[in-house]
Amino acid sequence: MSHQAINILDDRSGQVLRNGQDPTAKIACDKPSAAGSVSQRACVFCGARVVLYPIADALHVVHGPIGCAAYTWDIRGAQSSGPQLHRNSFSTDLQEKDVIFGGEKKLTAALRELIAACRPKAAFVYSTCITGIIGDDVGAVCKTLAEETGIPVIPVESPGFSGTKKDGYRAACDALYQLVGTGSTEGISKHSINLLGEFNIAGETYMMKDYFKRLGIEVVSCITGDGRVDELRRCHGAKLNLVQCSGSMLHLAKRLETDYQIPFRRISFFGIEDTAAALYDAAGVFGDPEIEQRARNLVSLELARIQPELRRYRKILKGKKAAIYVGGAFKAFSLVRALRTLGMKTALVGSQTGNPQDYQQLKELCDPGTVIVDDSNPLELAKFCLEQDVDLFIGGVKERPIAYKLGIGFCDHNHERKEALAGFEGMVNFAKEVHASVMSPVWKFVPRRAKRLSTKKKEAA
Amino acid sequence: MRKIAIYGKGGIGKSTTTQNTVAGLAEMGRKVMVVGCDPKADSTRLLLGGLAQRSVLDTLREEGEDVELGDIRSEGFCSSLCVESGGPEPGVGCAGRGIITSINMLEQLGAYDDAVGLDYVFYDVLGDVVCGGFAMPIREGKAEEIYIVCSGEMMAMYAANNICKGIVKFAKTGVVRLGGLICNSRNVDRERDLIENFAERLGTQMIHFVPRDNDVQRAEINRKTVIEWNPEAPQASEYRTLALAIEANKKLVIPKPLEIEELESILMEFGLFN
Repeated sequence: MSHQAINILDDRSGQVLRNGQDPTAKIACDKPSAAGSVSQRACVFCGARVVLYPIADALHVVHGPIGCAAYTWDIRGAQSSGPQLHRNSFSTDLQEKDVIFGGEKKLTAALRELIAACRPKAAFVYSTCITGIIGDDVGAVCKTLAEETGIPVIPVESPGFSGTKKDGYRAACDALYQLVGTGSTEGISKHSINLLGEFNIAGETYMMKDYFKRLGIEVVSCITGDGRVDELRRCHGAKLNLVQCSGSMLHLAKRLETDYQIPFRRISFFGIEDTAAALYDAAGVFGDPEIEQRARNLVSLELARIQPELRRYRKILKGKKAAIYVGGAFKAFSLVRALRTLGMKTALVGSQTGNPQDYQQLKELCDPGTVIVDDSNPLELAKFCLEQDVDLFIGGVKERPIAYKLGIGFCDHNHERKEALAGFEGMVNFAKEVHASVMSPVWKFVPRRAKRLSTKKKEAA
Repeated sequence: MRKIAIYGKGGIGKSTTTQNTVAGLAEMGRKVMVVGCDPKADSTRLLLGGLAQRSVLDTLREEGEDVELGDIRSEGFCSSLCVESGGPEPGVGCAGRGIITSINMLEQLGAYDDAVGLDYVFYDVLGDVVCGGFAMPIREGKAEEIYIVCSGEMMAMYAANNICKGIVKFAKTGVVRLGGLICNSRNVDRERDLIENFAERLGTQMIHFVPRDNDVQRAEINRKTVIEWNPEAPQASEYRTLALAIEANKKLVIPKPLEIEELESILMEFGLFN
């Protein structure tokens, strides 16, 4: 298959841009997916589910047909240092009869049984397409059960058809917000933060928390990595919010800023540049020279520890090309920079949920010629991977088969992964994984490269 | 087998008219099945003499998939066969899906098989065609003739016009046609002229004008159709006439629904707006 054979849908042409050709060009984004384009985006329910998933001592009940629960079961590689309740995917398993007669009684019975059996600190009840259509009053059931059991039972308004994945994030933030402000803020340090949009994939939250401990900054609540209901209840007592996954958590950060006057900063812990910047940024907010000094010490110590190994990988990977397609644009920025640290070029970059400011920033960050896409689809991604002849694809579970079918190395940077890629140690893991994938001898045998090699041989002869 | 669905505005007398007409056909020796498509499950009460009928969906809920035809179908006046689809209590679930499930189940159980020897099946459907589920009886392979019960009241005519829009939609892809309007009189002035004119503009006919008669209520209190309660009553003859008219009816059309302005102009013409 040649890349020229793949056309971009007319409706999508505004969402694809070649960087540097026209400095004033703007990419269309922040809109529903074009019909027929087979977007890489997930549904509203799935958006809400992945955001709330890591809250480990809460019960998560999916009110809908079993598929909704099955396909989002254990969907994140999010670890918990304590309870493991979140790793279950409880469901009301709605069937034909329940659709006809309504699912409220079944939901009531399920919640009653589960709350008694699991003793959660709170319960989240997700509505799905079906319950949205038949009009089950999930809010009323939650209210009754909350009164009956004494724990917060929180409806998550997430019928799949009711918008884009981003609306699911919003529904999750609104659900979370019902817990905020219900706990005591006593004893919270004046040097304290919340980590928003950090999901403890492969234990990354532990690393972040360790950094902040070394700086002398208290992490009140990580939302939602290694999350606990009681921490969420008192997160309004923190003095600063650091927002990592901006796509999912900006809404919550803004609400906390409006209602509790907590400022927020967008940060990222992917790549050494961004990790260092995040630590300096946080340290700077408190105006305490000691904290700032500790941040500098930490960064130089960690860098010294990992630089030799990174240099070794850089030598081998220099000049290799990568494609990036991720959920939130902020992670894309980090990855462009992290690849640069390894001497690699970004030939294609895109996100599912970026906004106009994000894409402006991406344009400024990327080299001329880089293809930038919003809300892309498998065919487009395949087209540009072939055209740019990339050596690596960084994405998630839905991009993996695209890369492998084309015979391209792949690095999983999505929430299903089991490898810690954040922070300084994470950068080494990232380099290791990129190296292993890009340099694998197997790619010599895939058609697009094998053909080229044989032509070269012929030319040489 | 003639497959007929009765539609019309809520409270217009669909179930009463259907059962009385079915009584007329059954009395003539026709084999008729009535399928009530209303969650209230009150479409067969008069034929069954008030007998509490177990609805298809209740049976399905209580006994699971292992249902037999005998569990959900009862014999009523003159060997008419009665089925109630049933459905959820008000305000919960999806009654429309219930209709779909229950008609599918009747088909699976062989309620329409040749062996049953049905001459007629009547679907008595609640109110307007509010969603896809309530249009189930007029989809491909189900009811082929529609009769709309209406009166000379504006809202009843408005509903009838709206139902015609639904018929047009399904007529394009299937065989469903409008058989006529049944005027269930409310003693509105010049009602007969009004409905005849309305029917004509829709491209159909008023198949019968059923006069208002308190014998209908008297029979209902006794849980009977008029024909069963008092075969000699004048109203019994009215329903027999309607039954015969339906039996003889060959005028099956795709209706031409009216614009609201036109509908209102008919009412003006016949003096209602004065």
